Amino acid sequence: MANDVQKHSEREEIPRELYPGLVRALMRRQAGLSLKVAAVFLAMLLLLPLVNYYLPQYANARLGGFTLSWLFLGVLFYPVTWVLSWYFIRASNRIEEECSDWRALTGGASRSASEEKEPVGSDVK
Amino acid sequence: MSDFLIQYTPLIFVILMVIATIGLGIWATRRAQTASDFFVASRSVGVGMNASAISGEYLSAASFMGVAGLVMKFGYDPLWYPACYAAGYLFLLLFIAGPLRRFGAYTIPDFAEGRFDSPAFRKIAVTFVLFIGFFYTMPQMKGAGITMSQIMGWEYWVGIVVVGAVITFNVALGGMKGITFVQAFQYWAKMFAISLPVFILMAVYGAYHNVLGALAENPAAVPEVSGEAVKLATNESWISPFGAFTSKYGYPLLYTYSLIVALVCGTAGLPHILVRFYTNPDGRAAKRTTLWVMILIGVFYMFTPVWGVLGRVGVPELYVSGKTDAVVIDLPKTLDNRLLGAVLSGITSAGAFAAFMSTFSGLLVSMSGALAHDVYGRILRPHSSPEERMVAFKIAAIVFGAISMYLGYVAESWDIAKMVGWAFAIGAASYFPLLLMGSWWRGLTKYGAGAGMLIGGLLSLSAIVGSMLIDKKILALPGFIAGKPELRGVILTLMDQPAIWGVPLSLVLMVVISKMTARDVPADVDVKMLRLHAPEEMGLSKNYIEH
Repeated sequence: MANDVQKHSEREEIPRELYPGLVRALMRRQAGLSLKVAAVFLAMLLLLPLVNYYLPQYANARLGGFTLSWLFLGVLFYPVTWVLSWYFIRASNRIEEECSDWRALTGGASRSASEEKEPVGSDVK
Repeated sequence: MSDFLIQYTPLIFVILMVIATIGLGIWATRRAQTASDFFVASRSVGVGMNASAISGEYLSAASFMGVAGLVMKFGYDPLWYPACYAAGYLFLLLFIAGPLRRFGAYTIPDFAEGRFDSPAFRKIAVTFVLFIGFFYTMPQMKGAGITMSQIMGWEYWVGIVVVGAVITFNVALGGMKGITFVQAFQYWAKMFAISLPVFILMAVYGAYHNVLGALAENPAAVPEVSGEAVKLATNESWISPFGAFTSKYGYPLLYTYSLIVALVCGTAGLPHILVRFYTNPDGRAAKRTTLWVMILIGVFYMFTPVWGVLGRVGVPELYVSGKTDAVVIDLPKTLDNRLLGAVLSGITSAGAFAAFMSTFSGLLVSMSGALAHDVYGRILRPHSSPEERMVAFKIAAIVFGAISMYLGYVAESWDIAKMVGWAFAIGAASYFPLLLMGSWWRGLTKYGAGAGMLIGGLLSLSAIVGSMLIDKKILALPGFIAGKPELRGVILTLMDQPAIWGVPLSLVLMVVISKMTARDVPADVDVKMLRLHAPEEMGLSKNYIEH
């Protein structure tokens, strides 16, 4: 379905007056995803010092030689960042696929108006 | 014979590493023919190769030796360094990597000019490439000098000259294409060097968790060192958060948070890392590359603290000499089989060598590229041919290489961690806000962006330099602050780790001044924002570099 969009020579120019709406729609969707992932990550990153400070009995609890805090920051932290970025990339590529047709995004004269009618960015509050 | 062999084994490994580096550089030069090959490798670099090269470039002397040394010295607190180095890439991925690649500019000055249609802004942005670059090359050069003196017994300056000359000529000959191959190779060399010896050493000293567990079993014990008495942290305070490192000024929580902000935001503001994203064929590849970088450096960083933990048990004499940075080089030498120890030490020495070489060359490429492409190609001689710019690049590389060697020589008495901290703090309070706001806020004007970048970056820099001078007793805090211990602690913490106010200050300035100069929002801002955010399939991307 995206074949006609990808071929440069055959592509139809996007009307200039649609740019602002298109930009807002695209950015809102992408920023929504980025902020969601960043919120999870920041919660993790910024809560750890608080746990270390106010709940040392948990932070210094032992698990197989490690303290919990050491195990988390020195080992488990990295796989968590991998999972978050893997999730982000998958979701972000899906957004790009959905957005590669500008007609659908701007609600203009789209051939698939019925399925794309939902206002873009409605999942972002 | 055997002693001779043991003495020179590390040298042999280092020489092999240098030969491999130069050889790969020469081989790659034959393939780098055109000017655009020279600057950004025609964006033809694959994801695996590019991720290895970015990782190879990122893992500097601070990562290879510094983190292990800091963990050995301070225990838990320095674990924030590798964790946030890696975390910075997640932020880069979430907010900056995709848009920047799509925008089609290939240096930060390109972005600055393209986003705001302001050649003047380009000049400001170029100066920061050079600022950050020199602050980052200094510690690399210092690391080179120290390592060479540690393993070879050379004078400090000899190591700097040898390492500096090798890298400078490699960059001048091969340009970035050469560097891409060489740095990908160097990542794997570093990964091998940090990991393999650890397994053999753990067979002797015990597994990571067992050694940590044994330390925790004796909370009040300190490492046994001979010779003069030095005050050492007990195992308990070493293994727990908020030890001597973050509690230096009495505000460990504040210190920790500010360190986190500096490292996470600073990663995105390093010029030699960002330029790499333009060698991805498209935004999708840029994102996949970032994920692979996070995996490659994450695995690497899982190993570095192990060295610090084993070092506390194996080479406590480094606490006395103060050279905990050398733990990765000295620990293998404690093995009973001296030849095996020498071989392993040779491997880690070669890894350390790869660390200075890769980061230094990456910085040299960024700085020379900025000069050849921006200062020479756009400001001094706008009509110069690509070949002339290539000559300018080579000359710039040699000049910057020489300046860096001199700065490294002067920097002997300064802390490596402090110098790296400068670079991160300047990047976090200057480039990071520029890239973040420039990519996501249509209301940003060149005045807002410029003021935020300049004031945030320069104030952070001044704070750090000030705290160093106070530390060395060259400068003193005003009496009314020095008289109040609590206020003094807060002020010193905020000067030593300025990111917690520097980054928000820069962001706020950008918003406020942009609002005040709202008429100067570029007229075609929607076109620019589309170029930043529209998927490549829409065909709105534009390449700023001519092929």
